[in-house]
Amino acid sequence: MLSFITRRIAAAVGTLFLSSVLVFLAVQALPGDVATQILGKDATPDAVAALRTKLNLDQPAWERYGHWVWGALHGDFGTSLVSGKAVGGEVSMYLGNSALIAVVTVLFAVTGSIVLGILAGLYRDRWPDHVISTVSLVGMSVPEFVVATVLVLCFSVALPWFPAVVLYGPDATVSQLLPAVWLPALALAVVMAAYIVRMARTSVIDVMATEYVTTARLKGLSTWRVVTRHALPSALLPTLHVIALNVAWLVGGVAVVENVFNYPGIGKLMLSSVQNRDLPTIQAIALISAVVYVVCNLAADLATMALNPRLRTRGRTR
Amino acid sequence: MSDIHHPGRRSVLAAGVASAAALGGSWLLTGCSGAQAAPVLPAAAEKGAPDRGGTLRIARPPASDAETLDPASSLSAYEYLGALYNRLVRVAANGELAPDLAESWETDAKARTWTFRLRKGVAFHNGRAFTSADAAYTLRHILDKATASPQAAVLAPLIDPEKLGTPDAHTLVVPLKSPNAEFPSLLTHYNCYVIPDGSAKSIGRTGIGTGPFKLESFAPAGPGRVTAYKDHFAGRPVLDAIAFYSVADMSARSNALLAGQVDLLSQTNLDFATARVVAASDRATIARVKNAQWYVLPMLTTEKPFTDVRVRQAMKLAYDPEHVVKVALQGAGTAGWDNPVPPSDPAYISAHPKHDPEKAKYLLKQAGHEGLAMDLYTSSYDPLFTPMALAYQDSAKRAGIRIKVKTASADSYYTQIWMKKPLMATYWFTGRPVDQLFTQIFRSGSSYNETAWSDKTFDAVLDKARAEIDDTKRRELYGEAQTLVIEKGGAMTPMFADRLVGISRKVRGYAEHGFEFDYLGIGLKGA
Repeated sequence: MLSFITRRIAAAVGTLFLSSVLVFLAVQALPGDVATQILGKDATPDAVAALRTKLNLDQPAWERYGHWVWGALHGDFGTSLVSGKAVGGEVSMYLGNSALIAVVTVLFAVTGSIVLGILAGLYRDRWPDHVISTVSLVGMSVPEFVVATVLVLCFSVALPWFPAVVLYGPDATVSQLLPAVWLPALALAVVMAAYIVRMARTSVIDVMATEYVTTARLKGLSTWRVVTRHALPSALLPTLHVIALNVAWLVGGVAVVENVFNYPGIGKLMLSSVQNRDLPTIQAIALISAVVYVVCNLAADLATMALNPRLRTRGRTR
Repeated sequence: MSDIHHPGRRSVLAAGVASAAALGGSWLLTGCSGAQAAPVLPAAAEKGAPDRGGTLRIARPPASDAETLDPASSLSAYEYLGALYNRLVRVAANGELAPDLAESWETDAKARTWTFRLRKGVAFHNGRAFTSADAAYTLRHILDKATASPQAAVLAPLIDPEKLGTPDAHTLVVPLKSPNAEFPSLLTHYNCYVIPDGSAKSIGRTGIGTGPFKLESFAPAGPGRVTAYKDHFAGRPVLDAIAFYSVADMSARSNALLAGQVDLLSQTNLDFATARVVAASDRATIARVKNAQWYVLPMLTTEKPFTDVRVRQAMKLAYDPEHVVKVALQGAGTAGWDNPVPPSDPAYISAHPKHDPEKAKYLLKQAGHEGLAMDLYTSSYDPLFTPMALAYQDSAKRAGIRIKVKTASADSYYTQIWMKKPLMATYWFTGRPVDQLFTQIFRSGSSYNETAWSDKTFDAVLDKARAEIDDTKRRELYGEAQTLVIEKGGAMTPMFADRLVGISRKVRGYAEHGFEFDYLGIGLKGA
């Protein structure tokens, strides 16, 4: 088992290394020269040349890559080309705001979708299942910005319950942001929940068909007890992986939704950094997203192993 | 940057999102209100007087995360400038110059030296009296290389910063390097707002001016607030305060208006779908700024086949601007007939060659480009680029010109496509005085000469016009310059478009033209 964990972690580190190379190359390949993009159309050739030197753009790419990775390993992501502030601090401020949405989204999506998934599984092929399955299919197919826009039109414009956009800057307090968190979180949860509902439903159907559930039923246990004590733990296992993948997806999905709500989170920072060609910031965000992705996957794998006796013992029986 | 394509390269990555959201909005709202016909866009904002007081909430696109309140900078937060500062000279609604901090101005017989008489009894927000030293300092600040002001390119060939004269506290003397009878009009530019003497280092944060509002708070690309300056020389503004919010995404801006979170969308030309949704709402409506934007299809005169003037003429004769206005603007604008000078300008001439596809065909044949095929680049940078390109494509077909419309990425459009591809779509804000317009955009070698057009006759006419102090004669010369641009230049100007501005139904006294916004008179009903 230990060797499995080591191998899994080694693979994660390798993935991160590869993604750092890809991130660096992708950012280099962005159309438009950084110096002209920053200085604007009014720039003189002298100013552009001076800025290129200042940004080390005259050095070879591999040298700049090494410099960047070395700094990143020490938590130094450089300074923003636009604001002149340290990228690390900027990114963590925006990331904190996004985390607020992410936490609410995960709470909505996980609790809601597991309950719905179990209901669908238990009422397989009857009307609750049809309703839940259809709705989750729709949720899966509609892009998040459409869901977000419809939510805004219903709950901000038609019924003025929630703000349509956030008018505060990135340094807003949690209490200022809190009223604006619900709609973006709901939009993300709708899209995210669909997958979890489908997965939970399938697992419940599989588990309910197993012999030990039949045995439990024959023993005369109530359906509620059978479901909570016997079926649920096994049914949740495969769902865990889907949840982990979706949490990782959140990082990307949040970019689109935050833009619709003008929410001062990491997604909005990413968009404006791309527009401004703020390379250090783009690289930092991309790398952090990669870390989130890899860590979520790793955690899901390890948790699955910890919960599944068959996987846990595989190493020994062979 | 904000000089030309005002709503900046800032807010556009999610333009796809914007249009999809707008569509989502329109079906939802029409769904709610029953199957009505699309509402007709109102021609003007609500009439009536505003109530005194209240806070106007404006959503604006941020210039960049490195925004500043320094008016001379290319990254200035545009909406704050007119609230905080005054210029020496401004542009009145009829296109003529009007006094601002300068009460009057005069020149010598050769238009070589300009003398400005400055308003007395004006104080900056920090209590210091405004004098000619501040006016001279402002000009030197714009010309300072460290400021990197876009307006420096226009003023530097004219002014020697060392030679500015301040014979007394309320007189500014500007000797010019070459005669220019239109010089005061160059000072109406929004980079020319007057700042206090010696404030170059701090002005970007303090925003101390003589304007109708004083700064309370400002965050680059974030929220900010200005409050009424009771001692303003033109009287106190109607409003108590203006709150500015920066919202990068266009659909987010219109959602904020629809939800009643803001009262006015600045620098946002709504697309027709969104405009209809806004006009149908109970809270918001549309105000039009007539002919506010001037749309161009520049042909790069240094690239084949546009090096040949006959091809350029054929491209212009081949299409019908009235058709472009009808299709791309749904009638909300005026046909340009390839003259970049807006019809509201005092120097405007209305003469132009007629639409003539047969003659276009003939010219192309002569030039050896029969059945010309060209790529025309657009992007979602502005909602009208693609409709304009498609309308041109359609109209030019009759002359045998085959246009392929290609959509490029919006965020790198002005670094990768503009002034690089031989044929593309672009736009400017109208409101430039005629001399600035021609000098900056059409004169040989000027910084924004987007067609790279270089014509000695044209430059000579411009020089002659500048040196001519007789107003009538000078206007004739600017008319001659227009004819040259229409007949020989590289810019096709299919249309002037009204800007569709989203405002709350409570807003009264909204008035905007060119780069002028009435901060004094705007207010709210029931504030």
